[in-house]
Amino acid sequence: MSEPHSVVMPLKGTPLRPDTNGGKEEGMAAATRTDIQERIEHEARVAGIRKLSRPSMEAVERRRLQLWGVTIIVIVTMALAAAVASLARSSDVEWLKPGVTRVAIISLALGFSAYAIEKEIHLHRLSRLLMDERVLSSALSNRLQQHSELTAAGRAVNSILDMHEVLDVILSNALGMLHVETGSIMLIEGEDEDELVAVAARGSNDIALGARLQLGQSIAGRVARSREPLLLSGRVDDELYPGHQARVPAPHSAMCVPLVNRGQLLGVLNISSFGERTFDEHDLQLLCLLAEQVAAAITNARLYEAERVHVAQLLELDRTKTQFVASVSHELRTPLTSIRGALSASRRAATDEQREELLDVIDRQTQRLSSMVEEMLTAARLERKGTMPMLRRIDLAALVRLVALDSQVAGRPVEVQAPERCEIRADPESMRRIVGNLIENAHKYGKPPVRVVVEPAGDKVLLSVVDKGAGVPQTEREKIFERFYRSERTATSRPGIGLGLPIVRGLVEATGGTVWVEDAPGGGAAFRVALKVRPLDEQEVEPCTASQRS
Amino acid sequence: MHGKPKVLIVDDEPDVLLTMRMILEAEGFEPALAADGETALRRIDDEQPDVVLLDIMMPVLDGWFVLAELAGRPRRPQVIVCSAKSSDVDKTRAFDLGADEYVTKPYEPDDLVRTIRETIARGSKRPARL
Repeated sequence: MSEPHSVVMPLKGTPLRPDTNGGKEEGMAAATRTDIQERIEHEARVAGIRKLSRPSMEAVERRRLQLWGVTIIVIVTMALAAAVASLARSSDVEWLKPGVTRVAIISLALGFSAYAIEKEIHLHRLSRLLMDERVLSSALSNRLQQHSELTAAGRAVNSILDMHEVLDVILSNALGMLHVETGSIMLIEGEDEDELVAVAARGSNDIALGARLQLGQSIAGRVARSREPLLLSGRVDDELYPGHQARVPAPHSAMCVPLVNRGQLLGVLNISSFGERTFDEHDLQLLCLLAEQVAAAITNARLYEAERVHVAQLLELDRTKTQFVASVSHELRTPLTSIRGALSASRRAATDEQREELLDVIDRQTQRLSSMVEEMLTAARLERKGTMPMLRRIDLAALVRLVALDSQVAGRPVEVQAPERCEIRADPESMRRIVGNLIENAHKYGKPPVRVVVEPAGDKVLLSVVDKGAGVPQTEREKIFERFYRSERTATSRPGIGLGLPIVRGLVEATGGTVWVEDAPGGGAAFRVALKVRPLDEQEVEPCTASQRS
Repeated sequence: MHGKPKVLIVDDEPDVLLTMRMILEAEGFEPALAADGETALRRIDDEQPDVVLLDIMMPVLDGWFVLAELAGRPRRPQVIVCSAKSSDVDKTRAFDLGADEYVTKPYEPDDLVRTIRETIARGSKRPARL
């Protein structure tokens, strides 16, 4: 490792926005760049370069060549002039006297050299400035490249709504942008939102998918708690991060940034470098910018997910409603057919006996319509959960035998297995409904023989209605107790409006009991009702005395 | 046609069977009853009725099954579907399976009697299916 201890550099303040195409650093660079350009212009002017606006290195070289060319010519000319002057030493001409000529030539040479040197200094400065500008330009274009990558990553991330895809794209973008291969995303989970769970991971040596971490623990946990980005290099100080488990090999450099959207902490984004790459503050800043977009994308994906569930629920509700309307209209049509038939037949009836029989039909079918309306009202009442049944002491065994007899008369034979007496506290009307509906259900959807069994079991009584039909598939065992639910298997062949079992459950629960369905031993369905013998822990009251359940 | 026309009433509702039986008898038909698809097919085989009044939603074997079963036979009775199902989808399905008429419950018994007569009249002109 390059450094013996970890370096922690939390970045304060809001990260810079990528859409301004530059940040503080880039702003400063831009200022420096303007300054350099002004100086370049100045130096170019002094150095005598004509194309002041865009002086290039080539122009400087040309100018330098020019300058030194002229200088050499001048000096050679001077030397020649000096030689001529020496030859003319004996001349009588006053101004060609050697002393004067020499001084003049040397002065001229010196003067021109000074000029050339001064220009050379400016040209030298200019070429250095141009070099600086070139370096700066290329650095800036690198940054711009990164920012455009960041913007593209943000766009990509925000255009996807599926959570898994979002996380995958986020991670690969972050890794691609930073030219490393290892990283992970951990999201806040748990009832108290105190746990981080790795939901996406890349690279072989990072946090494993599904790994859990308590908030405050290790590096990610600490970043999540403090909501401050972290940049780490070298060996990690275990004391600073309780719960940290060093990885082998340890990353060379690592970054961890919190994912926060509108003040809500969503998780953290971890990036590790196992190669030569050492992250710097600029990388951290870049990752912070990405994290901001990522947090928004995760929030969007979650909203979308919630909306999708909501829509599915609404569709299911709509389907149930349509089914209910169809079932009810069918159930209304059937008794009406019998009533119209009976009225029509009674006009043709030959004997009083026949007329009597037809009146019975009308009576039965109107009762059926009434009880259907009653059933819907009961379901609505149970839905409100405001009303409680009147509990009194009843003999469940006797009640079951009575209901079974009624059922027999209605053409639905039932075997009863019950002790002589079995007293419980319940609402007799509710109990009649429960037993009656279960028997009707067994005949409608199961197959005879139908048995009703009453078994006392400690402080409870178990009431079972068992048939020899196909049973209820595991996937429908809860649904059949939902209002208006009609199994796809039977909806077309069996009449009903999907209220019988929901009413049973409502009444059983109002009495403090439970109801469920299971496979009967030897095939068929077994509907079981567990009732408490004394659902209220209170003093025994006189039989038939009503007591309101609190 | 010799004698009274035979009509098989197929419905799982006892009161429908009872009232229709009385009406058809009074109207000069010879009614027979079935409360499920299985019985209906057996009685069609045994008694060869002229018309079947067929309900759709029944236990054991439903009306769809009966229609499908009859569709494959060379000789079959006229079928009037009498159902509380009133959607076009159901009607199309019934006609596709070879139903001759479709009556939606609750029907006016007099109208049904007229439909039965018309169906029988049409049926007597129809060549036997081969």
